[in-house]
Amino acid sequence: SSELIYGAYILVWPAVTLGVLVVICWAVVRDARKARASDEDLL
Amino acid sequence: MNENGFTQFSTLTVLLLLAAFYGGTYLLTLLIRKDKEDTSGFMVAGHQVGFGMGAASMTATWIWAASFYAAATSGYTYGVSGPIHYGLWGALMILFIYPFGRRFRKLAPHGHTLGELIHARHGPSSQLILAGSNILGSVISLMVNFTAAGALVSILSPLSFQTGVIVAGVGVLAYTLTSGFRASVFTDFAQLVALMAIAIIIIPAVLFAAGGPAVMVDGLSQLTVEQANIFSMDAILNQGAPFFVAVLAYAIGNQTISQRLFAVRESHIKSTFVTATIGYGAIVIGLGMIGLMALSVGMEPIDGNMNNIIPQMVSTYLSPLFVGLFFILVIGSLSSTADSDLSALSTIMMADVYGKNIAGDQANPRTMMLVGRVTMIAATVAGLIFASFSLDILVMLVFVGALWGAVVFPVIVSCYWDRVTNAAFTWSVVVAMALFCIARFDLLEMTGLTVLTFEVLASVGGAVVIGLMVFGFFGRTAGLLAGLLVLVPMLIYSTGFLRDYTTLMASLTAYGASALVCTAMSLFSNERFDFDLIKQRVGDYDGVDEESNLVPEGAK
Repeated sequence: SSELIYGAYILVWPAVTLGVLVVICWAVVRDARKARASDEDLL
Repeated sequence: MNENGFTQFSTLTVLLLLAAFYGGTYLLTLLIRKDKEDTSGFMVAGHQVGFGMGAASMTATWIWAASFYAAATSGYTYGVSGPIHYGLWGALMILFIYPFGRRFRKLAPHGHTLGELIHARHGPSSQLILAGSNILGSVISLMVNFTAAGALVSILSPLSFQTGVIVAGVGVLAYTLTSGFRASVFTDFAQLVALMAIAIIIIPAVLFAAGGPAVMVDGLSQLTVEQANIFSMDAILNQGAPFFVAVLAYAIGNQTISQRLFAVRESHIKSTFVTATIGYGAIVIGLGMIGLMALSVGMEPIDGNMNNIIPQMVSTYLSPLFVGLFFILVIGSLSSTADSDLSALSTIMMADVYGKNIAGDQANPRTMMLVGRVTMIAATVAGLIFASFSLDILVMLVFVGALWGAVVFPVIVSCYWDRVTNAAFTWSVVVAMALFCIARFDLLEMTGLTVLTFEVLASVGGAVVIGLMVFGFFGRTAGLLAGLLVLVPMLIYSTGFLRDYTTLMASLTAYGASALVCTAMSLFSNERFDFDLIKQRVGDYDGVDEESNLVPEGAK
């Protein structure tokens, strides 16, 4: 159990990072599609 | 491996990696380049940055080269809780500023810098105190990031330290110069995707290459009692508390943050900054865990230099491919922060110095753009020179940190309380800095009533820090109550105790003194400021009609 706890304590951070990466990429793709549809610039 | 125990790349390999990174980044900026850039786009991307781009940019900007090294050092030094005491408080700097950011944005919807808002509220002296602290912070940041590039290149290749410094400086300037803040945000997104992907791969790779959790758990027996304790008081007092005190100071003192508060769409400020908080914390704490792993396997940093921990672990346990990924990780993190510093410095010079103090009613957008680009070039040259000479900036860093702490209370309160005057703002900062210097550098003998006075001021400072944090989220009554609830135990327990922690006491003294002076002078004033005036005084600078000589709102 201590190995599991240690492993989880280390690996939870890259897992959260992956989650944030997915959210950010999803939001940027959504904004890019909106910008293209309305013929505006993304930035 | 070289004689130091690190993976050694050839000159050609490192030059190709650098060319791929900076060349690719430059090509990215061509996608958003406009024939005619305007000042609003150059400074804040027209106030229209979306949630995804904003969160990516804020995260990438806040992660600089020192983040990984310092988090790993904290893990190696303080054990299990070390990385959290570095990454968590850094992340909270992003979180705790956003409620105030929404207020800044409400007062000045078309602002570019916090200095502009303070100029509209108080006039030039208060504004230039804030702008000066912003400039010092960004120049130091530029220098540190260029230094990190030089150190990395010299460790992993035969190339010299100076070569790494120059390539980083020229590379960052090349892709930022034309489009300014828009280029910074767009490239931040690409750099953050690379940063996150590499962090997601490297952390588990090191863990399992070093033997997996079983080997690590066996190594925990080598830790001291404090290092093995997740609630280590050693880590809290030496790593966590000084960082916690700086949470609001770093956020207020950094134009890179306020620039994004003015750039993100107003309705997306909360979601952007909460996401950036989680992203920053996860990446930095995760990479800090490599320091804990190094401690668990009994690794000794080469030459006793803690900055060697991550490259040493990656070189020892992983293939050169991963070392190359680590190289890109560090170059990406330092470049994303350096380009934000260049944008911040150019915006301060454009809006705070030229727009508000030189041009007066006649700010010309074309001149303003020239000021911005010349500032970027001058700042890069200054950063390269300071980095090349490896100047000892510790005293300067201490001074800037205190200055940021001293301006926190007057800046925030000026945005809510109509009685705060320019004199109250200015004198509160001056008195706070004087008292900070006395406490930090022992200019008076710290005994008897003298040290007791400073401990009381520091207790007030602690109450101010907590009070402001609570006030941001829950309003005035909750903030005052939280401040009082902290003040009482602080007065009881910190007297006779804080004197042993000079740095912490001096930092808290800056907060406490500026809050007391600012409040006292404001209570004696008869001024009642109309906050609607700020909206009228702060606006965009574009759209000067040269024939009819109409003046844009922001130039007034």
